[in-house]
Amino acid sequence: MIPEATQRLRSAAPLLSKAASLNDARLFGVQPRRHLNVSSRRAGKINHRPPPRDRVEIPGLEAVTYADRMHYVPGLSKPVFPRWEMGHKDPRFYRSPPHRDMALHRDEPCYVFHQRSSILEGVRQALWLTKTKLTPGLPPQLLALAESSANQIADQDERVQNAINHACFWETTEAEPKECNSSTLVHNLLQLCSSLQAGRPALGRRMLAEKYSVTASWSRGEDLFQVRGQNGLLLSSAWPLPPLADRQEVEETANHELETFYPVAPTIDLQTTHLYNPSENATGFRNDYPYPHAHTLYFLDGVDRRCRLRPPQLRAKMIMFCFANALARARGHAPPEGPAPPLERPVCVQAVGTDGQTFQFVFFQLNTTELTNHSGVKNQVWLEEDVPLYDSARLRPLMRRKEVMVPAGLIGYRPETFRKFLSLYLHGAQ
Amino acid sequence: MALSCLSRALRSLSLSQTPLLSSQTLAKVIPDVQLPLPALSHSTNLQLCRGFLTTASLDQNQTKWKQRDKYTIKPIGMKKTGGRDHTGKVRTHGIGGGHKQRYRWVDFQRLRFEEGKEDQAFDEKVVEVRYDPCRSADIALVAGGSRKRWLIATENMQVGDLIKTSGVIGRMAVSANEGDSYPLGALPVGTLVNNLELRPGSGSVYIRAAGTSGVLLRKVNGTAIVQLPSKQQVQVAETCMVTVGRVSNVDHNKRIIGKAGRNRWLGIRPSSGLWKRKGGWAGRKIKPLPPMKSYVNLPSISAA
Repeated sequence: MIPEATQRLRSAAPLLSKAASLNDARLFGVQPRRHLNVSSRRAGKINHRPPPRDRVEIPGLEAVTYADRMHYVPGLSKPVFPRWEMGHKDPRFYRSPPHRDMALHRDEPCYVFHQRSSILEGVRQALWLTKTKLTPGLPPQLLALAESSANQIADQDERVQNAINHACFWETTEAEPKECNSSTLVHNLLQLCSSLQAGRPALGRRMLAEKYSVTASWSRGEDLFQVRGQNGLLLSSAWPLPPLADRQEVEETANHELETFYPVAPTIDLQTTHLYNPSENATGFRNDYPYPHAHTLYFLDGVDRRCRLRPPQLRAKMIMFCFANALARARGHAPPEGPAPPLERPVCVQAVGTDGQTFQFVFFQLNTTELTNHSGVKNQVWLEEDVPLYDSARLRPLMRRKEVMVPAGLIGYRPETFRKFLSLYLHGAQ
Repeated sequence: MALSCLSRALRSLSLSQTPLLSSQTLAKVIPDVQLPLPALSHSTNLQLCRGFLTTASLDQNQTKWKQRDKYTIKPIGMKKTGGRDHTGKVRTHGIGGGHKQRYRWVDFQRLRFEEGKEDQAFDEKVVEVRYDPCRSADIALVAGGSRKRWLIATENMQVGDLIKTSGVIGRMAVSANEGDSYPLGALPVGTLVNNLELRPGSGSVYIRAAGTSGVLLRKVNGTAIVQLPSKQQVQVAETCMVTVGRVSNVDHNKRIIGKAGRNRWLGIRPSSGLWKRKGGWAGRKIKPLPPMKSYVNLPSISAA
């Protein structure tokens, strides 16, 4: 305390002694005050104050403020003080600079597709964005891979049904589970498929990766698009997948017209951002990764409750991420600036998507990286949609008026769905 | 925690303790004493306590759910008021309870351009037509360009329809389809209209309920006269936007509530059963129509 204040406090000591009571205070004519007020904000009061005035900045004119006077003066304008800066860096109180000042800021927007994007037009929009021609149904030569007896697993149907029971019944703690765990199901099916490795050593040269991120950028017309983020499980292999369409079919896709969906713009439901790197392409792995070629993507739909997609939107997501993986692989060898060289060999990626009951199968073939104009050779995709693995898997029967409508247990198992899954797994292992 | 708060407050009220003498009161008494702010240390033996609420949680009074700036199509959770105003007293009787509802933000300004595409007529595609718990009419989710919004659905709106919005008034009247939106000056006289704006650009206020429609009666130098569903006529500027057709859910007035419980589900509480003698204000009245209300600021003859 300051010495003068100490002196004065000592002189006023008798007044501040503990013995000073309420009566003494009243002798001075001073009433004691309790401070039990509740602030108006806490009491939920709505104080209707006028909004703060808009500040008009006139270049060249300096406003006369009351900053120097250190108190409010009517008629002078309110001073604007610079924000107080801590002298040192503290990560708890970091303020990011405004977007305009960031290094990656650009004036043109970039439309980003990520794992939670649910685009309105579904597959049509994905086909337009990736300049792709759709062929419904997987080709028979791909499906024939699982038909041959050499590629059958011992007790295949029984083991797949065990896998479904595990995902639907044995893992859940709820009394009435709503759906089957797609993550458990896919992992069990992959485990089954990899049991064929004994007869086919080529199946061993593969690696499963979870939670990897892919980035791909391209432009269509005047707009810039990017696909980034995590998507699902990646089964990658040491050598690339063989393409399904030969050179002549690829040339014929140049005659195909992409379907537009006026009045909806192709950029609907994509995240708009002004902070991006326009030439960013990354497969998610380093250059010396021993399994660099993306073989199959597995999309598990029901795992994240917040972003569950309808089947059309799930198919669109599968096409977009297959395209992103293929483009990142194709562009990985090209220099960042300048036109990309034409592809000598199409890059192929497969995908399987499921919500625990229904499966979607996609085979994507990237024929060209020239995506800016709408004409020319198109990419191709073979899509098999809404293939159920079983009709119903309920823990308790569905009863209506004391009659069993749907019995409990696994009902309506379809063995051909697992055969399609297996054929996609075996493809490229010759 | 509440108990300790209460006990601290009561302790601060007790008179046996040394009362708090604020520095201002001391300064009045002894002017030359410059004291630092009272150090409330253990020596003064004081218990300071901040105020505490004695009511229920006051979040129910706040209307923060309505203060959103950015438009969204996601349904917004609502807080029910029960007919109470900001003071907490009942201002409107007969409101309370009812099924929980979420508010879907309907865009009543039909002629809202996207950024960068000002002053161009545009089309939108109807994505979904659904029931709205907050109004009698159905609402439609429409998508155009890169944006989606909720609009009041018209009578025959189906999924996949294209609806046009244009702000241009041509010399010839447009043959409008149902669901399209034009300024009043561009429509032929006699069209059924809904979602009427009173002032150009301010958003539609009239003719939004289920099954209602107004009639464009005549157009007279820069203004248009519309007959509302209550048979009253209004005169508005001809640049006010309006939608063609009847509002959806046409059979809304033919529904039968059936039981008291259904009214309670709708949030309508029973009226007081007390019989009250009614005065001259009650009963059917047959009166002439009120005069036409004009929302156009025409220069008066007496000026200049």
